[in-house]
Amino acid sequence: MGSTPLDPRIEAFGANKCVDCGRCTYACPASQIGGDFSPRGIMEKMELTGKVPTNQDIWLCMTCRQCTQICQFGVSFHEVIREIRPELRRALPPEPNHGGASEALERLSAMASITPRKQRWMTPDLKLDDSSGTLLFVGCTPFFDVIFRYLRSDLLEIPRSSVRLLNAAGVSPRLLMDERCCGHDSYWLGDAELFERIARLNVEAVERLGINELVAFCPECMVTWKQIYPKVVGKLSFEVRSVSEVLAEALDEGRLQLRGSEETLTFQDPCRLGRYAGVYHAPRQLISSVGRLEDMPRSKEMAACCGNSSFINCGAQTRLWQLERIKEAAGTGASGLVTACPKCLIHMTCALNEGVQLVERVKMPLIDLHVLAGSALSKP
Amino acid sequence: MMEGAAKAERGEVAQPSGWRPSIIAFCCNWCAYAGADLAGVNRRQYAPEVRVLRVMCSGRVSPGIILKAFTSGADGVMVLGCHPGDCHYRVGNVYAEKRVEQVRELLDLAGVDPSRLLLRWISASEGELFGRTMDEFVAHVRELGPLGGGIHAP
Repeated sequence: MGSTPLDPRIEAFGANKCVDCGRCTYACPASQIGGDFSPRGIMEKMELTGKVPTNQDIWLCMTCRQCTQICQFGVSFHEVIREIRPELRRALPPEPNHGGASEALERLSAMASITPRKQRWMTPDLKLDDSSGTLLFVGCTPFFDVIFRYLRSDLLEIPRSSVRLLNAAGVSPRLLMDERCCGHDSYWLGDAELFERIARLNVEAVERLGINELVAFCPECMVTWKQIYPKVVGKLSFEVRSVSEVLAEALDEGRLQLRGSEETLTFQDPCRLGRYAGVYHAPRQLISSVGRLEDMPRSKEMAACCGNSSFINCGAQTRLWQLERIKEAAGTGASGLVTACPKCLIHMTCALNEGVQLVERVKMPLIDLHVLAGSALSKP
Repeated sequence: MMEGAAKAERGEVAQPSGWRPSIIAFCCNWCAYAGADLAGVNRRQYAPEVRVLRVMCSGRVSPGIILKAFTSGADGVMVLGCHPGDCHYRVGNVYAEKRVEQVRELLDLAGVDPSRLLLRWISASEGELFGRTMDEFVAHVRELGPLGGGIHAP
């Protein structure tokens, strides 16, 4: 080690505890996809120079938290990356995919003078209650429905099925009619100012309602509300849970019945739901009650990332990674790959539609967890 | 919109004091931009609030760029291309039409009046139409008022 003083951030995330074993790089999807990204390499450079590296590679990280999960010495590598990004953003901003549409929509939703009207996906059979203690936070799925309709036309079935399932479990949720984006991507892309503005607008609007619980089917929204908002705006006066947790509880208590079948299904753990929030059991319980669950070799804590985060740095290499994952799913003998995150669903569907032609044909139906469970409800 | 232009001319539209709309016009190099040139050569006076951006094809304008214009302070955006069948690259304007439709849907969900985004076909010979389109759209956006102060992207 040199005599240069260490950047205080190195110690803050345990980077000084790194022993250069390389487990992080071995587990990192960004390293396996290609390019020069190596968590171990970055740690080593930090230890040698005492400085935090700032180069374009920092954007390759998918923030899937696999590195932190596998580290035996308690280094929070994903937090190091997040901490570097705000500074890096000014000099070397990330290269967005889809023409930067999702980032621009986040920015629009941070304008206090604009009132979003995205809750138009409701159908007459859904029971909502404006005085309910449970709020369903819908997130960006209505926007994704417009942007990614060419990939799948059924994205709006995710919020609809979520409400149907909650109804069947005896919960009539309320919605925030002028709901804004949760700001997840801006947080991970280093735009702290934008994130804080969104967080304040959202928290203010929800706190006013006096609810007991906020539920979200999107793991990113859920984790942002549960773990990041309290860090930025302080403790919330309500609980935050994923829809799958609420439904698993209802299954346990016998409030919810789902029709079972002989179908074998496998599950893609979304990084936010699994490694971030530690919810591994609830989605599995839901799948097991509608079919037979066969986990992939890489599952739960070791689940492979869907290949993209925050809609940056997607390319042919990403598709190969996703294809690999889909083949792994097919290897379990399952007739369907279930995901619990709208973004996993979109990224993997994209790989199947556009990437498969490059290599070989893989067939694997992709289903959202909530849509799957919703289709197993007994008709009223 | 015609009505809006007429009202603006008569000075009947109430506006926040000192506010002038910022409007971006993405003009296709082969048609609308040449149309703007013709309007200039003909000394056709039109609303000065419009900032013209030349692009090689209206099909080049992605949804992200349109949205970025709005988040960077634009109160209205125009995408101006060649008439159907006249595209220099055969089908660029067909793409533009699809994309603009998609952005209108997104704007509507986000709470922005979709009429703040205009798609028009203007050929190189239509200088007068170019000028008229500028006047009418500026008047329309004036009537809608400011979008929200503009949060500038870094």
